[in-house]
Amino acid sequence: MLASDRRLGYALVAPTVIVLVVITGYPLAYNLWNSFHHYVVTSGQPATFNGLANYARLFHGQSFLPALENTAGFTVVSVVLETAIGLALALALNRPFRGRGAVRAAVFIPWAVPTVVSGMLWKSMFDPQQGFVNYVLRVLHLPGGHVTWLANTGTAWGAILVADAWRNTPFMAILLLAGLQVIPSEIYEAARIDGATAWQSFRRITLPMLKPALMVALIFRTLSAFLIYDVVYAMTSGGPGSSTDVLSYLDWRAFLVQSDFGYGGAVAVFLIIVCLAIAAAYVRAFRVETVR
Amino acid sequence: MHLWSRRRQPNDITDRPRGPTARSKRRSALVAAVGVGLVATACGSSSPAPSASAQVPLSAKQTIVFSTQGLGLEGQATKAAVKAFEKANPNITVQIQTLSSSSNVALEQQQQAFMAGASTPDVLNVDVIRPAEYAKPKWILKLNKFHPNTANFFPGQMASGEYKGGIYAIPWFMNAEGLFYRTDLIKTPPKTISQLIADAKHAMAVDPSLKMGLAFEGAKYEGAVTAFQSMGGQFTASNLSNINTSANRAVLQFEYDAINKYKITPSAASTWEEPNVQSAWLAGQTPFALNWPYLVQLSEAKGSLVAGKTGWVPFPSVWGGSPQASLGGSDLVINARSVHQAADWKFISYLTSNSAQIARAVFSGDPPSVKSAYNSTLFAKAPYFKMEPAVYNAAVSRPVTPVYASISSQMQTLISSVITGQESPAAGLAATAPVVKQLAATGG
Repeated sequence: MLASDRRLGYALVAPTVIVLVVITGYPLAYNLWNSFHHYVVTSGQPATFNGLANYARLFHGQSFLPALENTAGFTVVSVVLETAIGLALALALNRPFRGRGAVRAAVFIPWAVPTVVSGMLWKSMFDPQQGFVNYVLRVLHLPGGHVTWLANTGTAWGAILVADAWRNTPFMAILLLAGLQVIPSEIYEAARIDGATAWQSFRRITLPMLKPALMVALIFRTLSAFLIYDVVYAMTSGGPGSSTDVLSYLDWRAFLVQSDFGYGGAVAVFLIIVCLAIAAAYVRAFRVETVR
Repeated sequence: MHLWSRRRQPNDITDRPRGPTARSKRRSALVAAVGVGLVATACGSSSPAPSASAQVPLSAKQTIVFSTQGLGLEGQATKAAVKAFEKANPNITVQIQTLSSSSNVALEQQQQAFMAGASTPDVLNVDVIRPAEYAKPKWILKLNKFHPNTANFFPGQMASGEYKGGIYAIPWFMNAEGLFYRTDLIKTPPKTISQLIADAKHAMAVDPSLKMGLAFEGAKYEGAVTAFQSMGGQFTASNLSNINTSANRAVLQFEYDAINKYKITPSAASTWEEPNVQSAWLAGQTPFALNWPYLVQLSEAKGSLVAGKTGWVPFPSVWGGSPQASLGGSDLVINARSVHQAADWKFISYLTSNSAQIARAVFSGDPPSVKSAYNSTLFAKAPYFKMEPAVYNAAVSRPVTPVYASISSQMQTLISSVITGQESPAAGLAATAPVVKQLAATGG
């Protein structure tokens, strides 16, 4: 009985496994194979085994390490920023008030805009002559009304962070709001009766109960921040110079500009490993805390 | 209107990590084994080139596939040309395979067909910077055996189709970057850069409605490279062994100075692509603008602010050399595995005939690649084409090399660093020159 159940189980998951092998497993394995070869598609030469040379190039080349630094910095800043604002939004939207449905819908609109479109949009918003940002700054007599945002390293990163936060904070808010909604209100009532302050119930009830949702949100947000590509491409193409270059954009260039499937493959493998490590670290961090 | 500009689709990657368990480890071992097997099969695949006997004779009934980008007017012009060709050659049917309007996606689509060893598309429309890249792996056919009339094309564009002495591409339509000037504000177009600077400053002083003196594209993208070349940058295949020349330093310095010293160009130009230059020009905000000929047509359109006030000449060389116009435009190539080569050539000959070229120029504004098409028939229908050959004769191709894209990427970073003041021209060129030299050497 048990054995036949198990067989049926295998049969039922078989199609999924096969599809996964074909559309995920094969490209992954092919990419891994490429990463150990010298293989420039447009060279007309067949791939030749070159061991770890592509991986060595990551750390000895000029562009990888700066891009890694940029990517890591962006990931930390954007995730912290978006989590904080997202949490505040979620808390606000979880309170009953008139017109809450409309406000919730409005807040989530940026999430429905494709990233590359929002990147293009923000690029024109930051245009120093026709852009909205400088217009508002000038009208309000604030500093920065004549800054060419995308032409300096610091301000270009600021612009990218704003564009990314505008697009992705609603995502954090959605997930955290869903987490907040499953916390039973009785617990808050009990806490209030016991004389807990708002801060105490946030610290002792909301945050611990929100942990599963927070973990999911953080994993998704961190991974996609680490893989940032569209906003950078649309707004700066990694410029000025190469000051806003990031790993996914570097990898895209390796594959599509240089047709270097070996080096591109090595960068992709590195990205996969780091992403898995980030996910594993989150799962571990949250599990340990829960056990305590 | 597609020039050569890079556009791209979003590429969202979502990883779904899963925690390992004992059972999943066993399963992943199985998956890995299957994966390795698949890789082994992939590596063993290769397909033989078609033999000469497999060719379909010209007179036989056949269908050829023409792969081309082009929406709107350009797409309609292509359809009209195909219809006329089919009428004249009833045994040949041309099937149009429309590529993505995004040039990077279009490039991928064509490369994938080549990499798979497909015999179609038979005829391909490619950007002028591609032929060498496709000739090297023998993806496209050497066309010398058809004896093309090379003298009837502009030399700069003809050169874009040459690789190791062979002809691999035939120019389809022309495109080159030149200096737009307002004929009402600038009496005679400047011949030297100092004259251009003086004219720009004078015009700004006289006419307060002007917001700048010179508009050009300085964003980090391919356009920055063509602007650099159109201003006199030494950047052809023969320059790649050392781009750190005084001429190149002068051009980069000029781009920086135009913004920071002469103040004829707004700092925003360091983020501008040609649509931004176009809007500054069409809004009448600048007496000078660097742009492509599509803007001639837009300027002369009904209701345009600058209609009848538009002149277009080669940009004066910054360092005093002879003027250069960076070459854009489109070429036609034949898939080396096509079995319809005779019909393919017939089709290309038709597309580059005077009548087809003039029809396209009038309908969609694509400038003829054929010199003889600049004749009274064309000028009667579109007089503004008269000023264009002057720019096209100065056309200079970007380096014809299989590794062009990688080299361009280096140049884009260099130009962007200099324009935004992150690096001096000398330091930037000193750092970039050896990288470009090494890349060029790998290109062979």
